[in-house]
Amino acid sequence: MAGSGHAPLRDDPNIILQVKDLEVEFPVGKGAVVHAVSGISFDVAEGETLGIVGESGCGKSTVAKSIIRLNSIKSGSVEYQGHDLAQLEAEPLRRIRPDLQMIFQDPISSLNPRRKIRDVISEGLAVWGDERGSWSRDRIEELMLAVGIDPKYGDRRAHQFSGGQCQRIGIARALALDPKVIICDEPVSALDVSVQAQVLNLLEDMKKRYGLTLLFISHDLSVVKNVSDRIIVMYLGKACEIGNADELYQNPRHPYTRALLASIPEPAPTVDPSDGDIDGELPSAITPPDGCRFNTRCQHATDICFTDEPQMQRIGDEDHYFACHHPVEVSVGL
Amino acid sequence: MSEPQLSVRDLSVRFPTTRGVVRALNGVSFDLEKGQMLGIVGESGSGKSVTAKTLMNLLPRTAEIEGEVTFEGKDVRALAASGQKHFWGVEMTMVFQDPMTSLNPVKKCGEQIAETLRYHMGRSRRDALAEAEDLLGQVGLPDPAKRVDQYPHELSGGLRQRVVIAMALACEPSLLIADEPTTAVDVTVQRHLLNLLDKLREERGMSMILITHDLGVARGRCDDVAVMYAGRIVERSNTENLFSDSRHPYTDALLRSIPRIDQPSHTRLDPIPGRPPELINPPEQCAYAPRCRFAQADCMEAVPESQGVKGMHEFACFHPANTDRGREALASNVAAGETAAGLPVTGYAGGGT
Amino acid sequence: MARPESESNVSGTENTELEAGRLAVAMAEDGPDEAVEKTLGFGFWLCITWLSAIVLVAILAPVLPIADPTDINNGPLKEGPSWSHFFGTDNAGRDVFARAVWGARVSLVVGAFAITFGLVVGGTLGMIAGYMKGVIDQAVSFFFFALLSFPALILAILIVTTFSRTLQVVSLTLGILSVAPVGRLARAQTLVFAEREFVDAARVIGAKNGRIIIRELLPNVLIPMGGLGLLGIGVAMVAEGGLAFLGLSVEGESAGQLSWGKIINESSKGRALSDYPHVALLVIAVMFATILALNFAGDRIRQYTDVRETAF
Repeated sequence: MAGSGHAPLRDDPNIILQVKDLEVEFPVGKGAVVHAVSGISFDVAEGETLGIVGESGCGKSTVAKSIIRLNSIKSGSVEYQGHDLAQLEAEPLRRIRPDLQMIFQDPISSLNPRRKIRDVISEGLAVWGDERGSWSRDRIEELMLAVGIDPKYGDRRAHQFSGGQCQRIGIARALALDPKVIICDEPVSALDVSVQAQVLNLLEDMKKRYGLTLLFISHDLSVVKNVSDRIIVMYLGKACEIGNADELYQNPRHPYTRALLASIPEPAPTVDPSDGDIDGELPSAITPPDGCRFNTRCQHATDICFTDEPQMQRIGDEDHYFACHHPVEVSVGL
Repeated sequence: MSEPQLSVRDLSVRFPTTRGVVRALNGVSFDLEKGQMLGIVGESGSGKSVTAKTLMNLLPRTAEIEGEVTFEGKDVRALAASGQKHFWGVEMTMVFQDPMTSLNPVKKCGEQIAETLRYHMGRSRRDALAEAEDLLGQVGLPDPAKRVDQYPHELSGGLRQRVVIAMALACEPSLLIADEPTTAVDVTVQRHLLNLLDKLREERGMSMILITHDLGVARGRCDDVAVMYAGRIVERSNTENLFSDSRHPYTDALLRSIPRIDQPSHTRLDPIPGRPPELINPPEQCAYAPRCRFAQADCMEAVPESQGVKGMHEFACFHPANTDRGREALASNVAAGETAAGLPVTGYAGGGT
Repeated sequence: MARPESESNVSGTENTELEAGRLAVAMAEDGPDEAVEKTLGFGFWLCITWLSAIVLVAILAPVLPIADPTDINNGPLKEGPSWSHFFGTDNAGRDVFARAVWGARVSLVVGAFAITFGLVVGGTLGMIAGYMKGVIDQAVSFFFFALLSFPALILAILIVTTFSRTLQVVSLTLGILSVAPVGRLARAQTLVFAEREFVDAARVIGAKNGRIIIRELLPNVLIPMGGLGLLGIGVAMVAEGGLAFLGLSVEGESAGQLSWGKIINESSKGRALSDYPHVALLVIAVMFATILALNFAGDRIRQYTDVRETAF
């Protein structure tokens, strides 16, 4: 399936990561495939936090994992520092891995239950030795202190810590290799509400302290807005809307974005509650709809929405792109 | 004032474990009026799910329960002890969080609803299945005739949860307890499910207890909200009051720690330091004190009793937020740099008190 | 190398934030969240005592002050237990106690070797198959499947009759027979663990496959299986007994070629059980007790090393 165009790609010397026309499929037997990601293009500037938000099945986690090739990519490119990660051979890819680290969703299962957390955090340094910073007890202690875990508990195992603490350990592990980019895959979704803020603040602190670029994936609209500079809204493998976080939430143009904002328990004041009245169920990702994939549920869909895939466009010079044939104006619909 | 429909008095639940006795509930008391929607909000370990399970007689046999539960004049605990089978599922029912585990994967949906009707109401199989189809229509399932014959895995999460709701409502209960009914579904589906519950509640004049960790959900849908922490209800009020004028520092801190959609990006959050306490052998003090900005010496020595106007705004705190007493306490802590529990305290990240 | 900290970005508030977080963590940690006191239990130690005794006695057999197990003129024929002959004598006048002691050597060696072989070969193959999946998994799984489908008995007979019936061959035969069951279990466990996020995390860090298998999967898969290994020794010992009954166990009449299975076999043939039941029964009792001890201890170890997967 065609992508939604390259309009959102910026011409900026600070761009550190550029994803172009990314397509990812998973076979599900009998020749059928799940079209998990179908032609998404975006970039991330150094020091930026890009949030990716969407509901289940939209492909956001797949995008995150595909960038670092935890699953295979069908087509498209992932440009990082002159390399196309999608095309790299196994060994050169492995050598780049320390630059691009990840924080996982389930804090406890992302740590090996049988290893001491000190070993878990230092695993990266053990693998790369002196190539990426010296393996010293001091460095590990420094990392543990930075994330708020007392080093004297380094000999304990994951199950002796709470969810929030395990996530901090995961953050320390990701930081150990001095990465440039950290991909956060729903890092706070499995945590208690009062602990979420701890981890979000910690990520912000670490980002400033170590000069990181973040990719933050979540289904929680408020969390994503809090953390991100720019946000992508995804639906069924496609990008609906991309732009500056405040601008996007202030003036959402895509009907799906509006539906999301209208559906949260305390709806955003910038949308009308009726925007959330989308009907029906998510279509199958194995046989997604032609044209705009949101056409089965959109209140504003017309004929063209069933035949032509909308391309990313924007109005004026705002950092705000949307892929829709009938983007919503502030006051009027169709 | 008429008798409340549900009255819980001094409910305590203890679980003996290999590590000691876990005090899951510690003197929980609350009332529920007929037709009211009560939200119970709390995090893991707060005791909200244990409360629901106690009401529904779903605790393991090893649980030690004390206290009274009265529902429409009946002593619920006595009913449980006597082995009554046709109370839960009929007058008081429950909807759980994960529809995939509440439904039997090898039975058709219609069959599972019919089972309730046949067991509790003595309907014939044919009548029960017909009623099941009707119920599926009532909960907004498209094409109920087809769905009756489908298995749970053939339905999406949102539709499955509707089937579970249909099952719960089959015998026309007076009270529905929903334990995190929308936590496992997407936000757009959540809205539809909550709308459905609202509609059904009105149509049937049912009361509801909605248990959730999501303050937004509680605020948007409930008449009254009770906040639980470490096995106690620390604050209870009507929704507006609770959110705009909270008294218990935990409620206050929780509200400050959540990112809000109307805040600009990169707003610094005010997390609650530490984590919820162990429920084994808790010390005789306010359970929240070690994490509380307002904590004073007396908070470390005794458990605060519930105060305030019953039925309007109750809370259990010696130095409540948004009161003079509380403000003094906070000011003295900020000046000293730490609380009586040794927690370092500065002003709020967002400024203000 | 580490990037220098941007001092100006870490303001006073944030420092205190980290402090508060750290302190809170320290506070929360000092509670009863300590490692749970788990003991192995009296039963476990009883079993270990018995097993240690058996093993010790078996090792020291040549230097223990016991009778010569092959000496046919040791005492009266078919006598029951007495002070001079703890287990009595058999139909050839040999001291049964001494025979039981020497028999332990072969039985234990065969059992231990078989399981070790199974764990090493089968476990490794299973882990590689479960982690690499794809073609490698299909090949190894087919191999296991073929091995399991081949009637164990026929295989044993084939090997043993092709080569000689020495201790090494018999042990190897049982070892080969345990590769498939152990391997399949290892593969299944690996499949489960390979899906866990900590394996993905190791890949993201840049660890090579070999390192992931050894450092991440091995502790989770084979170490708990080691606990089951003790049970496996028992199974192998019984299997050896079965081979002995078919006359397929270690050949020869010397002391070093005795096994419990052989003793039980030859003292339950024909009218032996009615004439002098004490021989078979006593040796069976010893074997039973040993296998029971292995089962119980193995299960206890498995429970003890079971790591809780969630916090409290």
